[in-house]
Amino acid sequence: MLVPLSWLKEYVNVTLDPRTLGDRLTEVGLSCEKIIKTSDDVILELEITPNRPDWLSIMGVAREVAAIENKKINYPKLKTNLKPKGDILPLKIHPNYKITPRISGIIINNVKVGLSPKWLVEKLEQLGQRSINNIVDITNFVMWELGNPIHSFDYHRIEGSEMWVKQSAGGEEFESVDNIKYKLPKGAIVYEDKNKIFDLVGIKGGANSGTYDDTKAVFIVVEVDDPVLIRKASQKLALRSDASAIFERNVNRGGTIDALRRVTDLILELAGGNIASNLIDLKEEEFNPWKLDLSLERLEFVLGIKISEKDVINILDKLSLNPKKLKGNIIQCLIPTYRNDLKIEEDLIEEVARIYGYNNFPKTLPTGQIPTDEIPHYKDYLLYDKAKNILTGAGFSEIYTYSLVSKKDLEENDIEIVDLIKVTNPVSLEFEYLRPSLLINLKKAYKLNISNFKEVNLFELGKIYHGKTLETAKEPYYLSGITNSLNFARVKGVIERLISELGLADAKYDISLSGKTIIFDMNFSDAIKNRNTKKIFKPISKYPPITEDLSLELNENVKVGEVIEVIKKQSNLVSDVSLLDIYGNTKTFHIIYLDENKNLTNEEVGEIREKIIKVLKDKFNARIK
Amino acid sequence: MIEELLQIKNDAISLILSTQTTEQLEEIRIQFLGRSGKLNIAMKQLPKLTPEERARFGKTANEIKNILEEAIINQKSKLKNQNKNKEKLSIDFTTPSIPPKIGHLHPITQAITDTVEVFKMLGYQAADGPEIETDYYNFEALNIPKDHPSRDTQMTFYLDDKEVQTNTPGEIILRTQMSGMQARVMEKMEPPVRVIVPGKVYRYEQVDASHGFEFWQLEGFLVDKHVRLTDLFGTLDYVLKALLGKNIELKFATTNFPFVEPGVDTYIKCTVCGGIGCSFCKNSGWSEIMPAGMIHPNVLRNVGFDPKVYNGFAFCIGFSRLVTLKYQMSDLRLLSNPDLRIINQF
Repeated sequence: MLVPLSWLKEYVNVTLDPRTLGDRLTEVGLSCEKIIKTSDDVILELEITPNRPDWLSIMGVAREVAAIENKKINYPKLKTNLKPKGDILPLKIHPNYKITPRISGIIINNVKVGLSPKWLVEKLEQLGQRSINNIVDITNFVMWELGNPIHSFDYHRIEGSEMWVKQSAGGEEFESVDNIKYKLPKGAIVYEDKNKIFDLVGIKGGANSGTYDDTKAVFIVVEVDDPVLIRKASQKLALRSDASAIFERNVNRGGTIDALRRVTDLILELAGGNIASNLIDLKEEEFNPWKLDLSLERLEFVLGIKISEKDVINILDKLSLNPKKLKGNIIQCLIPTYRNDLKIEEDLIEEVARIYGYNNFPKTLPTGQIPTDEIPHYKDYLLYDKAKNILTGAGFSEIYTYSLVSKKDLEENDIEIVDLIKVTNPVSLEFEYLRPSLLINLKKAYKLNISNFKEVNLFELGKIYHGKTLETAKEPYYLSGITNSLNFARVKGVIERLISELGLADAKYDISLSGKTIIFDMNFSDAIKNRNTKKIFKPISKYPPITEDLSLELNENVKVGEVIEVIKKQSNLVSDVSLLDIYGNTKTFHIIYLDENKNLTNEEVGEIREKIIKVLKDKFNARIK
Repeated sequence: MIEELLQIKNDAISLILSTQTTEQLEEIRIQFLGRSGKLNIAMKQLPKLTPEERARFGKTANEIKNILEEAIINQKSKLKNQNKNKEKLSIDFTTPSIPPKIGHLHPITQAITDTVEVFKMLGYQAADGPEIETDYYNFEALNIPKDHPSRDTQMTFYLDDKEVQTNTPGEIILRTQMSGMQARVMEKMEPPVRVIVPGKVYRYEQVDASHGFEFWQLEGFLVDKHVRLTDLFGTLDYVLKALLGKNIELKFATTNFPFVEPGVDTYIKCTVCGGIGCSFCKNSGWSEIMPAGMIHPNVLRNVGFDPKVYNGFAFCIGFSRLVTLKYQMSDLRLLSNPDLRIINQF
């Protein structure tokens, strides 16, 4: 929303400099994005939140400035009483209050469509709008001024002087005033005469009913439309207009008549003509201001500070909320119809707080009790951090990659598209599926880095996604990595250390070769389900161990792990066995003998050794070197 | 006779001073002060002397012995120091270091860890929840009905369930905000509530320097019997200063989210330009960092809390924004780029 300062000043006496004004507007919720200085004016660019249709008008912004500056608003004087003069032009309207709760309108005959005066052209130009003709410009001007969208129809183009408010069936052709053809979606609000749709209500006027140079009589309409229907239609058509932005925020339902009077005054002044109908105001219900109470106690309770009754009333008054002090410290406001956002007491509390100024509040910390029970959905971040720290300690760096991957990624990793979760509306085909494995992106990241680094060790601890249906979809955390500089035994060592540090009793993991790299993959969510963190200290043995190395020539198919198991089984005095060295088929094992209760003798060790050698010969056909 | 002793002393001193190693010094000591050293040999002449001479000779010999012992001790410590210096000089301190092979944690992990730690101090626990979320938790429980205009700012990824059409299309989505966890956590507990939820969110957005379709946020919420707006301001102030430094400048502004009332937005003075305005803060001098507000009574009602008894506040931190601000990174996309030239800087 662009707001020229000169225009603002027509309704309120602005004294703050533009920069301070911008800061104050931001503070009260009208976020000032930019201050543009032109040759003779300053234009504020404001971002309007979805709750404030009224801020999409200069008057709405002026009301905020009045509250900030503690000033009064000068509303434009309305002259016409909307009474007809001369011949009446008939028009029969069939309303539909469910979709268009209010239609206010008037017919003006004998208008002279022509150029707009310079001031009007310039005003619209400041908002980035181009001038069309005096009538259309006036409707636009009044919309920007007061915040109710207004449309002017060529009366004589409404065939049979009869019109219906309907919802489109879907598929109808519609040509807008700016000569763009649309196929209407189902459910859009339209005006029809007996032969045609002539208006896409609340969004865009039709080319077949607009106000042109040959127009003699105009039907001016200020309506109230259902916000959801406007929003749906404008989304489906990808067609946004200044009017639809206001309607979908829920337009000022009580403002139609004032807007109509303002437009009529200007048309009679700038385009001549005479009112040729009685005031049309079709509605099922009254759209009156509503009462809303604010308790001063509740205000103080929620804000944490006491603002004096006088100041509260003054703030509410400057916001035109008509405050009235009632018994029991209640302040009753009469909420104008343009403030649809004010429905509950908390809304009034915000009104007081924001004008008082958020930055004028003291700062406190909550005083209540600190909850000590474990919360639902608790996540133990320490555990995750610990896992990550073990991996960085082992030389792996952490990456964060996208959860969304492409079909090509899946194919390249030989992943079948089964039980995968797909986005219906991806930003691009590159990001279509939720990843079923972290390895896809780890392999890519490896390739990316190998041109710059000789050693690449990466890991990611993130979610993967799968499921037959969305309701049963699972998204467990996985811990996966890739390395080109640690060998299998070292990667296994890292994982085993991680498992023992975290006490992951049932951890399952894969380590595999992939080209020149080794990759690992662990379902971390499963692994941490059952943890055993109990550690019992074991005293250091008082007696020295005896160590010896045993070199064996083994057939290729003999597994080292089995050999170690067999050696260990031969005596409970074998306290540890490890693989020291591999040379061809010769593997050297390092054996530690230990008796915790006495000194071991060479004879005892010799006996065990004999036993070990015999069983290794028998079982694995091992040759002692 | 005395002259002989003095000669021994002079010879010994000059030899002691000229030694280069402790081994040489030990040799000299044995040569002069040893059992059959020069001083002892000279002493063997003692019986030949008259009693007067004997006394003088003995006294001088003792003095000389003391002098030489002291000289040897001094020389010894001198040599020791020399050696020490020699050892030091043999290291070239300009030799480039070899770093240990320790990997780097991603900056988002570091930001999450820091943040969880800060909130732990304030009594908050961390939760985790699904990224594949229902429209109810993501929007409706938060007072955002279907076709609410505020959904415009959270364009949504819908998930495909073509094979089993059990659900209404569009009901299951990728979460667009962490706020959905408000309902998920609170419907299963009773106040007091102090919870933070870090996590990844998804928005259907065209990617550019300041927008991504996947990014990281933290949602936090506190519910108790008497929570004040000043408590929210104090919490925002405490947390941001703990995370970004005591010297940062903050300001608060009103904003609108359907699930808070009053709504608060938090701005931090641009860490890059110091508030003058730069491309980083889009020339405004300020960066929006932590939207927040007092929880809307409808949200409390939706999770079964009586808004007459309880109230609270909620807030959100954009981790991607926090990290880029903290490290002056110009582009959000750097955070999902697994290039070690980026990650090794953290």
